[in-house]
Amino acid sequence: MPQVPIIMPQLGESIAEATIVSINVKLGEKVAADQEIIEVETNKAVMGVTTPCAGEIAKIDAQVKETYPIGTVLGYIEASEKDAARFAKQAPPPPQREMAEEIPGRSEEKSGNGAHFQIDKSAVRTFRVSTQGAVPGGGLPVPAAAKGAGFLSPRVRARMAELQLTNADLAGIAGTGSGNRVTIKDLENYLRQMESATASDASAIRAGVADAMRRSWSRPLATIGSSVNLDPVLTDRKQRDPKPGPALYALRALALALVENPAASAKLIGARVLQSNTIDIGLAIEAQDGIIVPIIRNADKTSLADLTTKYEELVSLGRARRISPEMQSGGIAAVSNFGTFGVEWGTPIPLPDQTMILGLGVGKKTPRWDESKSEFVPATEAQITLSFDHRSLDGGGAGRLLKRVIELLENPAKL
Amino acid sequence: MSITYLEAIREAQAKLLRDDKRVFIYGQDVGGTFGGAFKATKGLAKEFPGRVLNTPISEDAMVGTAIGAALEGMRPIVEMQFADFSSIALNQILNNAGTHYWRTNIPVPITVRLPSGGTKGSGPFHSQSMESLYAHYPGLIVMTPATVEDAYTMLIDAVAIDDPVVYCEHKYLYYHLKADNLPNDGMPVGKARIARSGRDLTIVSYSAMLHESLSAAEEIAKEGFEIEVVDLRTVKPLDTATVLASVARTGRLLAVGESFPWGGVTAEVIARVSTDGFHLLDAAPARVNAKDTPIPYHPNLWSTHRPSSKVIAAKARQLLRE
Amino acid sequence: MLLTRTFEEKLASMYRGGRITGGVYIGKGQEAVSVACGIFLQKGDIFAPLIRDQAGRSAFGEPLVDVARTYLGSRAGPMRGRDGNIHRGKPRDGQLAMISHLGAMVSVVVGSLMAKRGRGEKNVIGLTTIGEGGMQTGATHEGMNIAAVEHVPLVVVATNNHYAYSTPNDREFACANLVDRARGYGFEGYELDGTDLAQCLDVVGSAVKRARAGRPPQLVVASTLRLAGHGEHDDFSYVTDDIRKEPFAIDCLRRAEAFIKERDLADAETLQRWREEAAEEVENAFSAAQSEPVPSGNEEDWSAISRRDLVDEIGEGGSS
Repeated sequence: MPQVPIIMPQLGESIAEATIVSINVKLGEKVAADQEIIEVETNKAVMGVTTPCAGEIAKIDAQVKETYPIGTVLGYIEASEKDAARFAKQAPPPPQREMAEEIPGRSEEKSGNGAHFQIDKSAVRTFRVSTQGAVPGGGLPVPAAAKGAGFLSPRVRARMAELQLTNADLAGIAGTGSGNRVTIKDLENYLRQMESATASDASAIRAGVADAMRRSWSRPLATIGSSVNLDPVLTDRKQRDPKPGPALYALRALALALVENPAASAKLIGARVLQSNTIDIGLAIEAQDGIIVPIIRNADKTSLADLTTKYEELVSLGRARRISPEMQSGGIAAVSNFGTFGVEWGTPIPLPDQTMILGLGVGKKTPRWDESKSEFVPATEAQITLSFDHRSLDGGGAGRLLKRVIELLENPAKL
Repeated sequence: MSITYLEAIREAQAKLLRDDKRVFIYGQDVGGTFGGAFKATKGLAKEFPGRVLNTPISEDAMVGTAIGAALEGMRPIVEMQFADFSSIALNQILNNAGTHYWRTNIPVPITVRLPSGGTKGSGPFHSQSMESLYAHYPGLIVMTPATVEDAYTMLIDAVAIDDPVVYCEHKYLYYHLKADNLPNDGMPVGKARIARSGRDLTIVSYSAMLHESLSAAEEIAKEGFEIEVVDLRTVKPLDTATVLASVARTGRLLAVGESFPWGGVTAEVIARVSTDGFHLLDAAPARVNAKDTPIPYHPNLWSTHRPSSKVIAAKARQLLRE
Repeated sequence: MLLTRTFEEKLASMYRGGRITGGVYIGKGQEAVSVACGIFLQKGDIFAPLIRDQAGRSAFGEPLVDVARTYLGSRAGPMRGRDGNIHRGKPRDGQLAMISHLGAMVSVVVGSLMAKRGRGEKNVIGLTTIGEGGMQTGATHEGMNIAAVEHVPLVVVATNNHYAYSTPNDREFACANLVDRARGYGFEGYELDGTDLAQCLDVVGSAVKRARAGRPPQLVVASTLRLAGHGEHDDFSYVTDDIRKEPFAIDCLRRAEAFIKERDLADAETLQRWREEAAEEVENAFSAAQSEPVPSGNEEDWSAISRRDLVDEIGEGGSS
């Protein structure tokens, strides 16, 4: 049969222990529940210890005239399964003495002033207040006094999200709110005006290009330019079949120039400079209603003939809209030949994940000074520009790179 | 026929006494020929003998007695002479009536009428607006009628509700607000009303401040802005849905109340719109309350302490410019 | 009385064993007064007991299992765990549910009696208890005054058990005799020795009769000693030895038992049987309550008003 402990009970809040006066039962004696079996004396009075339940006295550990703390097991009752189960669920209270130690001074109290609630010993904590005050340098420096100058309100943001607008789309709105911020009224007025113009849905490609250019523009970009004599390339071209376009020559020249000078195309991310292991260069191709830039991997190791074949493949893939985003990512530079549109020069925008783009204009018959003949001779000249992220490349570095590209272009045998 | 806010309250009580024999009125000076400090019960003691009873000056016992009577099936209306004195009965209202249903599953259908709000010269203990305090505690319904029509229908609704109702009638509106006639029905309890349609800013208000807000809106209309004004009617429960729908239309929120500034109805309105309607706000929400001092006696001081249509308009203009 | 004493001793022992959450307040020493309060009340009367009125509540007809349920926080109890220990009541059965603020219930009984009178109910009275401590609140003052003004059949039984928590009489009131206040309010006043069951039955019984007969409200002041702490958390060591020697310090149960033995009203066997029956009834009440489920925060309907359509949608609070 299971045993239930007889425990020295809480005899009053300030009482920590009691002395056994008499034990009024014998081993084996049958007892009822709540029967007084032991008399104890505290510094206040003589009190009784009662049985927790009915049963038989199985063991008495307490001795007369000895003092035991509250919570001590004084003996055991052999009880029914049912009674034992009831006590298994509820643990005996923690010994009074431990509580007094945790709350200094309490054991000194003479008069009972019990709390109206039980103290959960497991929840007692010692809390030390920091004398340091607020730790400087923690958290964001909030200009608490600056009131809302130039913010976009939650409502404006919600409307922008709804219409998939970005901050760039708001560039055309002059805000009327405080600090010239764009208010919801400003935005709605603007949108109403837009509605009066012919509207159609932007294609995915259009939206994609818009997003890429917006992101690219967030960097400080600069452009340098020079002129290149295309006659050597045009002569070289006549001998080849199939014939590579000038853009492919430019791509090859840029690839070789970058092999010689890989640092030029390095990316700056935060305070770290990242250099690519391979020379992968993109070539801008016009697709349905936007430009796509498939990357030619290891362009330095691809001959002009192979480049030409590759280009034909990409053009037909492009028309079939089979150029995936993977095919367009990971390059270090790109080439754009806007000369095919008759454009003389331009300042192209590098792709957002690249730091430079080479732009080639249309070749025109131009007088060129020939020092050896001391006269102007006709030459086919084009403007070639290099736009770059000025965070990672300076004018000098860009200039040297462009000069080398021009050198190589004017010596196509080296390509 | 022209009827004042106070007369509407009297008419409502007459109708209640006439139609429902469980109703009785309990308060100081309500009986006899006197008919109450503000005449809200004039003539009723005579018309309904034994049902309009004078009590000693014992606000605690007045409400306790009402609770006991309500538990035995009556529908008592307790008239506090001034809202300010109800603080003596706080224990009975908050801890006894307010907890009874929660504790015993038996509701307590008492209605406590609080003549609330400031009038010129009434001073710190005859001017208080206590709706914020009562709304804070669970178990109570708190009404703040702003119109003659609502004063009438909402008091009748209050007595019909099985739960304790704190009915905050505004003393300034008693004689200063008139209507042409009394309606048969009103809007449902707990629903706010759009008192004025607008477009540029939402003012949420209640009781006498509704009228100050409407005046402010008229002023600002001359400057080309249309302010929408919401009359809460009941501050607990608070009609969050109507407030949010209004801010959805206008994007700007100004909460106006006559009670003291710390916490309370205006803070509650702003908290709800900020959490549930953050995406609707085009500017930070604002509020106008009385000052954080006891209510002054001198009319010059009182008119600065209390929100006025001028102050409300100034705040609205500021908010419109944000 | 025996039932109450047995029950409350069990309760105290359970409290000390850590099996009850919250406070336990017993009426040891006041059983005689309390039982007299409950025993003369009939169906239709209003009873507003306080914390030391277990005997009165049982006499009034409160099932013992409901008491156990409230202490053990059973979901089936009258308060379903929402309030505990002696705040329980069954208003529809005439037993009001007290709040902790002493004296608040006096005027509530007044209102209930007025309502009953208005309905034409006859022969109905209300009885409420108060201690000499609670008697000093403004609420008691207002309640007693309004009871007399409204001339309701109210009996207020005030027990001076000589301590309000740890405060003795000389810091509670300065009048020579609490029963003198009856005159001040327009009540009729009587005093009695709270340790004597016979006197309790006699004086309280007569006060109830007079109230039923339409006399002004009645104040009965009984004198006893609180024989336990203010609550079971309190070891009441502030009770002086001198006080314990006073005549009002006698245990009413022991006195009643002596009386029975003296006059041979019941033999030892009967007394023993009563003890056993009480213990059994107490045991049954606790066992029944113990096996019942306790409330769960997640299954609770968190509405404080009966009109569900008017519940304020204040958003989720707490840890729901």
